[in-house]
Amino acid sequence: MAVFDINKYRQMFLEEAEELFETIDTLLLEAEECGDMDNETVNSLFRSVHTLKGNSASVELSQFAALAHELEFFMDRLRNGELTFEESMAEILIEGIDALKQILELELAEELSDDYFQETKTALLSKISAFGEDAEEISLMIANEEPTDEYGLLLPQDDELCYGPIGGVSTVLNLLTTSQDDQFGMFEDESFIPVGGEDEFGFFDEPIVSQTDVPLQVSDSDEFGFFDDEPMPLSVKPELVVSEDDDFGFFDEMEVPKTPFAPVLETKVSAAKEEVKSVAATEPKKFKADSSSNSIRVDLSKIDGLMNNIGELVIAHSMLTQFTVMLEDQKIKADLSERLDLIDRHIRELQESVMSVRMVPMETVFSKFPKVIRDTAKKLNKKIDFRYSGETVEIDKAMIEGLTDPLMHIVRNGLDHGIESPERRRALGKPESGTLMMVAEQANGQMIIKLQDDGGGINVAKVTAKAVENGVIDEHQAASMSMEEKAMLIFAPGLSTADAVTDISGRGVGMDVVMSNIKKLGGVVKVDTEEGYGTTFTIALPLTLAILDGLNIRVGKEQFILPLSAIIESLNPSEDMIKHIGDKESEMLMLRNEFIPIVRLHSIFNVEPEHEKLSDGLLIVVRSATQKIAVFVDEFMNQQQFVIKPLDKNFRNAQGIGGATVRGDGSIGLIIDTMNILEKNY
Amino acid sequence: MSKILIVDDSNMLRDMVKYALNEGGYPDVTEAVDGADGLVKAKSAVFDLIISDINMPNMNGFELITELRKLPTYAKTPILTLTTEKNDEMKAKGKAVGATGWIVKPFVPEQLLKAVGIVLSR
Repeated sequence: MAVFDINKYRQMFLEEAEELFETIDTLLLEAEECGDMDNETVNSLFRSVHTLKGNSASVELSQFAALAHELEFFMDRLRNGELTFEESMAEILIEGIDALKQILELELAEELSDDYFQETKTALLSKISAFGEDAEEISLMIANEEPTDEYGLLLPQDDELCYGPIGGVSTVLNLLTTSQDDQFGMFEDESFIPVGGEDEFGFFDEPIVSQTDVPLQVSDSDEFGFFDDEPMPLSVKPELVVSEDDDFGFFDEMEVPKTPFAPVLETKVSAAKEEVKSVAATEPKKFKADSSSNSIRVDLSKIDGLMNNIGELVIAHSMLTQFTVMLEDQKIKADLSERLDLIDRHIRELQESVMSVRMVPMETVFSKFPKVIRDTAKKLNKKIDFRYSGETVEIDKAMIEGLTDPLMHIVRNGLDHGIESPERRRALGKPESGTLMMVAEQANGQMIIKLQDDGGGINVAKVTAKAVENGVIDEHQAASMSMEEKAMLIFAPGLSTADAVTDISGRGVGMDVVMSNIKKLGGVVKVDTEEGYGTTFTIALPLTLAILDGLNIRVGKEQFILPLSAIIESLNPSEDMIKHIGDKESEMLMLRNEFIPIVRLHSIFNVEPEHEKLSDGLLIVVRSATQKIAVFVDEFMNQQQFVIKPLDKNFRNAQGIGGATVRGDGSIGLIIDTMNILEKNY
Repeated sequence: MSKILIVDDSNMLRDMVKYALNEGGYPDVTEAVDGADGLVKAKSAVFDLIISDINMPNMNGFELITELRKLPTYAKTPILTLTTEKNDEMKAKGKAVGATGWIVKPFVPEQLLKAVGIVLSR
């Protein structure tokens, strides 16, 4: 017997609910901002809440569904003009949606008590009931707290029966039998059967639409049934057509018509007709092929699988290239190389296509912020003007999750500590509303995200003092640090300069998590701050996590891969470019009046180098966050694409190694993590 | 072998209907994500049954059924609506646009299959 896998569908429901909530939030925030709500917005809101309600009921989230139902009912009244939009509604709806989200969380965790649910529901209803003429009626509804299916929602009357649709089918069937509820129904149209009414199911002959004037017979409580209009003499008790099981039936008013039949139904139908008309009038038909209708949802793991296959193809290709080198016949070698180049081009194109499938617009990330910023600003009694640009810039879907949290942290922190209160801003001669800008752009194969506020900036002296106090740095270090480096101290663990810990930020956990999260994505963060004028966070991320352009370098007999994106330049240093400082052990490269620390890779990886003298080898200047280092190697070789494979857990702590790859000859290549080297050494 | 088209903007609901149909011995199921998509797909093949949601962006279920009934291919094809509403208003509308019947969400596979069995056997 077919039974739905509730966990699977709940997961699907959650994914959809998240999107729907986002749509709703965006619409409500817009409405709140402009103090108005057009028909399209109301329709869209209604549709979203309606879907939430219907789908949650299908996955046994009955309380969520019940609350969603209340909101839906309210929106329906807005939609059909029973209520007109008032400015204060937006806020109440936002609160309602927040309550809904909370109920969802609690219900999923099975931590939702009946009392709390009733409390939430009553609170919501009492707010909603403040609107419209029939406030009294709704107050009555509040008083009548029976779980209800008055508005068409199928709710279990008893937890024992626990949502038949998914769980025990037999209980539901029993329930249906006993309650005479029908889960489906048919419209039938006997009036169009030319020869008498012998055939009960004449609807095949029903031509098309427009037969609305035929009385419609329906029972009030079918959960299913067939649309059926059999014009019946009122005096004749309609014949009840039932299947052997009692649990569904077709057409026929079971016990409905206490009032004369036809007139009632006729009004109903004519009302329906009008409604159809009004729907047609208010809802401009959007028959244009929206891009969404031509899209499919694909599980990200499938795309990952595809990417992995391409990775293997890249490896196979480089194996073949390597093999060609060994060919002796020059003619064959040249011909083969030419064709291999062609394959290479196709592989790159294929890779780009798959990459583009993984890419989603930054809008997906940005759209999560307005709501959070609004709520946070409200809590803090601050005014924030949030703007963003670059929403069409695309980002690897796999990075979104890892990116949203750190951005959220920075934003919350900025609102809490950065932006001043309206009073203070006025006193400072700034506009009352603080501005927060979020900009995304693609530059040099990197994704750059800037977060800029015009708040008070970071109190660098205070941060430094705190860092010294906490032992993150000592006073000597503090004295030698640049302003920029000091500002970066906000990313040190356990550092909070907030005088009061708020529930928004200020516990000192967060900014270090921000740093580590962004590093996990292979990105870097930079802070520019000016006290009194604001702070800018710049986050640079690789465009993808899957494939890397790298440079093969050699140290002694070992080869390593250096990410191309990190390399600034390379040079063969002359003696006079090398400076020794301090105890003569720290070597610096003096390059165009800039001192760059030199890192000898052979000593980090403990391998026997070919050259000990810096001027015999090569220095590659790489950038990491705000710092540069010069990596000393014996030789650099070819540049190539590598498919990044994660290191096994045991090796993750290996200093200076960020990942691995399989080379053309099948051997393992280690990818150098410059950031890690820099951290460990400087 | 009956060809069935499911039209619903919810991935989850489509999956549930499809699952129920597959389990009930209807392997030939096509999905459409909204009314507009449903119309395109309905035109690209001949389906024996269409099960459609009502509330959808880009052409709702009623609009879809209206359009379908204008096509000779679908003048008589059974069309079931999937709906959370079971009130008379919805039924009148469904009837008005020429739907064959309705199935209330949430549904149990058995109920869905029963309704499908009935319309397909007629």
